[in-house]
Amino acid sequence: MTTNRQQTIGWLLIIPAMLVLGLVFIYPIARAFWLSLFTENLGTNLEPVFSGFANYTRMLGDGRFWQTLKNTSVFTVASVSIELVLGMAIALVLNQSFRGRGIVRTIAIIPWALPTAVMGLAWAWIFNDQYGVVNDILERLGLIDTGINWLGDPTLAMVALVIADVWKTTPFISIILLAGLQSIPEDIYEAHSIDGANAWQSFYQITLPLLMPQILIALLFRFAQSFGIFDLVQVMTGGGPAGATETVSIYIYSTVMRYLDFGYGAALVVVTFLLLISFVGITSFIFSKAK
Amino acid sequence: MKSNQSRRKLNLFLVLLVVWVLVFQFTTIKPAKASSQINLKILVYAKGAALLQPYIQQFEQIYPNIAVNIIEGPHASDAIEDLYTASFILGKTPYDLVYIDSTWVAKFAAAGWLLDLSDRVSSSDLDRFVKIEVEAGKYGGKLYRVPFLSGSAMLFYRQDLLEAAGYQPPKTFEDLITTAIAIQQQGLVDWGYAWQGKQYEGMAAMFVEVLAGYGGFWIDPETETVGLDRPEAIAAVEFLRRAIASGISPPGVTTYTEDESRRLFEAGKVLFLRNWSYVYNLAANSSVGGKFGIEPMVTISGEKGVSCAGGWGLAIAKTSAHPDAAWELIEFLTSDRTQRDYILNTGYQPSLKSVFSEPQVVAKYNYYPQLLAIADRSVLRPGISQYSQASDILQRYLSAAIANKMSPEIAMQKAAAETRRLLQN
Repeated sequence: MTTNRQQTIGWLLIIPAMLVLGLVFIYPIARAFWLSLFTENLGTNLEPVFSGFANYTRMLGDGRFWQTLKNTSVFTVASVSIELVLGMAIALVLNQSFRGRGIVRTIAIIPWALPTAVMGLAWAWIFNDQYGVVNDILERLGLIDTGINWLGDPTLAMVALVIADVWKTTPFISIILLAGLQSIPEDIYEAHSIDGANAWQSFYQITLPLLMPQILIALLFRFAQSFGIFDLVQVMTGGGPAGATETVSIYIYSTVMRYLDFGYGAALVVVTFLLLISFVGITSFIFSKAK
Repeated sequence: MKSNQSRRKLNLFLVLLVVWVLVFQFTTIKPAKASSQINLKILVYAKGAALLQPYIQQFEQIYPNIAVNIIEGPHASDAIEDLYTASFILGKTPYDLVYIDSTWVAKFAAAGWLLDLSDRVSSSDLDRFVKIEVEAGKYGGKLYRVPFLSGSAMLFYRQDLLEAAGYQPPKTFEDLITTAIAIQQQGLVDWGYAWQGKQYEGMAAMFVEVLAGYGGFWIDPETETVGLDRPEAIAAVEFLRRAIASGISPPGVTTYTEDESRRLFEAGKVLFLRNWSYVYNLAANSSVGGKFGIEPMVTISGEKGVSCAGGWGLAIAKTSAHPDAAWELIEFLTSDRTQRDYILNTGYQPSLKSVFSEPQVVAKYNYYPQLLAIADRSVLRPGISQYSQASDILQRYLSAAIANKMSPEIAMQKAAAETRRLLQN
């Protein structure tokens, strides 16, 4: 009786949360899916005309979609993995006790707190071929003779974007990992070192396993954010050169806001969403197995 | 029993909560108070809004029953386009007037968002404006936009350097390259020619001029013929590539917008610059002030080249409840007096032909008669409703071609094929 009643109350208490979740999450996706079954663009005078899965078949032959998907994946994998390694290193340093740690911790999070669009503009100037700081440093070091055209080369433009994103979001990862590190009791390390373990061993045998939940959270957060990257790219390269840095988000934005092709835009949203959800599902599954 | 009661209470509480939230939601968004006062709303980028404000006040004094509310928007024109687009997509746009770029007219008109203004103006009224800017406001033979500012691009050149080296301003593409190489070799300047090569709308505008200079065209809006894979278009791409390969344009030109190229010119690092007229006043106050001149864009034959028309205008939203009041405002803002005062204040490029040669204006900006000659020789970007897609297609392949990732032939063939597919849909 009591457990039954507690359960009912429990359910009732989460109903508001479920409602909110349904409204902000399930409804938009369901609506996007519904819209994706229609053709609604300037050709149909912005009236929805049912067209079944025509938008999805169109996507199969849409080279620009596949290119943006590839660009987004490359960007996501590169930036998230570098951020994870760097973020871990920074978290380990910040977890040590040293003079001025509080200030250093605050400073370390500044890049993450600055508005991305503004920093995107700054990074575009940093990588400018004539006035850019990067080229200036490389020239002074004698590594190059003439300025590298960073944002004008498809590969280098992607590299520049990854660097800017790593700078910007590594602090986010290190803060999450730092919180995890602080929850690991000091005595475990002591006991471990009494047993004769060195620093590397305790890192692999204690820190990493105990930090797994935080790593997973950081990974999933960053993956979702990075897969939907828009502002940084829009400001730094606008998707160029030759569409080499155009991400899925930018393509969806153009399709909906600039081409007024709502049906196709909705189909793009649905596919991107499914890809993202399945990746998140697979990652969580692998991590839960690894435990 | 007791549990049932508390469950009911809880249920009741939750229902009340939801109802309360809903009631709160719908009562706080009250419809605007009705009154005899007419309120007009228009979204303009923040700086433009500040510049317009004095004339709006004059207007409100003449029409005491009309209040004009200028909403300040972001500076980037595509951000303004987004805000207008979003407000139209969502149904009832709050805006009565649209401050509209020439490239949006076809799309907005095709979507049925703009009011047909054809019956409100006579052809003699329209003759007062720079002709191409009137054309830019038409879609399907109807007028949707009245020009407020015209916009022209031209070739800026460093007079002092040309004179020092004994050269004339170039007339042909060949001239431009050889002059630039010669003066660079004499060590007078770092770079020969700066333009806009980043993958963005400005690149499309720049390309339209080079294309016309070679006698080519992009899309004929009447017949929907695509001209991108014709020899003239390929020659135009080759010129841009040659500018980089010959070392007159910095390799980074493929990442430049108007601003980066302008700064290079103002820093005295480049001999020729393709840019819009707004650069003139800025450069006049920079280190190259008094050392430069303007000419129309070069061509293959040596005759005067054309400018891409890039002006702004005013349109009325179809859903506006006060189209007549909105029209009064348009007439006021495009009257001789308002235009003259506004141009004297801002140094922008007027849409009324008479203002270019107005004595007071010429006394302040002596290059305006020359500017009118350039504005009179302008071409439009294709006035089709799918313009943004067509522009994106061109930008992607042109960017690939000038970044040396594709040959001009292949890039332009692909661009043409994709554009044709777009127009068939």
